[in-house]
Amino acid sequence: MSSMANVGTAAPPPPTVAARQSDAAGRLAEKVSVRDLSFFYGENRALKAINVSLYDRKVTAFIGPSGCGKSTLLRILNRIYDLYPNQRAEGEVLLDGKNILANGQDLNLLRARIGMVFQKPTPFPMSIYENIAFGVRLYERLPRTELDARVETALRRAAIWEEVKDKLHANGLSLSGGQQQRLCIARTVAVKPEVILLDEPCSALDPISTAKIEELIDELKDDYTIAIVTHNMQQAARVSDFTAFMYLGELVEFDTTSKMFTTPADRRTQDYITGRFG
Amino acid sequence: MSLYFRRRIRNIIVLGLSVGATVIGLGWLVMILGELVYEGFSGLSVAVFTEMTPPPGSDGGLLNPIVGSLMLTTLAVAIGTPIGILAGTYMAEYGKYAKLTIVVRFVNDILLSAPSIVVGLFVYEIMVAPMGHFSGWAGAVALAIIVVPVVVRTTEDMLTLVPKELREAATALGVPRAHVIRYVSYRAVQAGLVTGVLLAIARISGETAPLMFTSLNNQFFSVDLNGQIASLPYVIFQFASSAYPEWQKLAWIGALIITFAVLALSITARVLASSRKSS
Repeated sequence: MSSMANVGTAAPPPPTVAARQSDAAGRLAEKVSVRDLSFFYGENRALKAINVSLYDRKVTAFIGPSGCGKSTLLRILNRIYDLYPNQRAEGEVLLDGKNILANGQDLNLLRARIGMVFQKPTPFPMSIYENIAFGVRLYERLPRTELDARVETALRRAAIWEEVKDKLHANGLSLSGGQQQRLCIARTVAVKPEVILLDEPCSALDPISTAKIEELIDELKDDYTIAIVTHNMQQAARVSDFTAFMYLGELVEFDTTSKMFTTPADRRTQDYITGRFG
Repeated sequence: MSLYFRRRIRNIIVLGLSVGATVIGLGWLVMILGELVYEGFSGLSVAVFTEMTPPPGSDGGLLNPIVGSLMLTTLAVAIGTPIGILAGTYMAEYGKYAKLTIVVRFVNDILLSAPSIVVGLFVYEIMVAPMGHFSGWAGAVALAIIVVPVVVRTTEDMLTLVPKELREAATALGVPRAHVIRYVSYRAVQAGLVTGVLLAIARISGETAPLMFTSLNNQFFSVDLNGQIASLPYVIFQFASSAYPEWQKLAWIGALIITFAVLALSITARVLASSRKSS
């Protein structure tokens, strides 16, 4: 748990973990490294030997046409695919240098370190307060006042506190779609993960809610490593530092967002971002 | 023109047949309820709920079978509900892709439609015969065997309705599976699970056959589950087939009470089920 506690605080990283921030020379620290990763739905190979990195406290966007494997890749990083039989990953995913696909990995602890927000807002059938407190209580025993503070902080970070502070005990399902999605982000932030995976978080939202969530991503990257899957090219360009373009289960190109959107190396990337296919 | 005309005629005929079938179907229900109210309502009095079943030829009430039925039903639900909910939970959550689930679902469907007299005979063999006497416990177990498949079925159906996104979202927070089920899945379908239990109660409250071989009947007031215990369905069966007008009257009253109790439960189940959708 110590590795979780020091995120967002001034405490020095524990010695066992490689320094997460960029070092003095400004080089980037790899938070998550994907090595030769393939994924199978039954016999069907959905990902083909993917190599990509998520850099510490940077936003990495995954773009590509539907069915190219973006969401599949994200679902491997917290091993949510483990819920289903006949789904299998090969290769390595290193989180701070440790392979999370290894057999001994404790999945609940992994998921507490790598949070995920889904396409469809999914508030739990309980009050707004409980939606946040639920995950926190599982890993920490906090006195009431501290828990209240933690809930408030999480809701503030997700830019929804002002809208819900007077109805914390109303059902989470009573909120609008955009509010529900920010509630889900708050819920994820509250358990203090190190990495946040966003799977098309704005696809069910109106432009105003989308703008709010994009602002939020920009703030969150001070403390968290973020991966976002999006179909919206402008969104990728706006929010991300790095962009990966995927096509037919392969990673075509991965580079800084500015390079990808101005001078992509691969013809297919260029065709996709200029809207020629996809 | 004639084609259009023929089509209209055909439409009128089919419409007439459909309405006719509906009226006949509902007609029987109205007639049954009407007959029950006509025969039973006039006899309803405080005495029905305070006095014991009488010997032939004198007045009395239905207190002992009402209490007996309440006890047997409560006990049967208390035994059957946890088993049913746990089995349904296994099938929808843990064993969703297991072969065992397919087998259990098949067996459960058989049990769901098994003649209740077979259940009565079975419990007679495993409980009444070894114990040497009829008992309320045996009656409750027989009814519990009827409760289980109803609850298993509704629990599995309801949990299957929980969106997989909701389950994934909870899992992605690092929530262990048991907590996901208890705090997220169960909560999302709470009303549906209660509905299943109410339907099971409605189902067993009229069962007579399983009680004939188990709890039998008791002319006197008794809450001793080790002995014979009276129940409304059995008393209705006994009194209705007797030759005494007082007994026949009480049978009508008993039938009225059961019918309206079940009706009230069904309405509650409906209201709960519809509130689930709107919440």
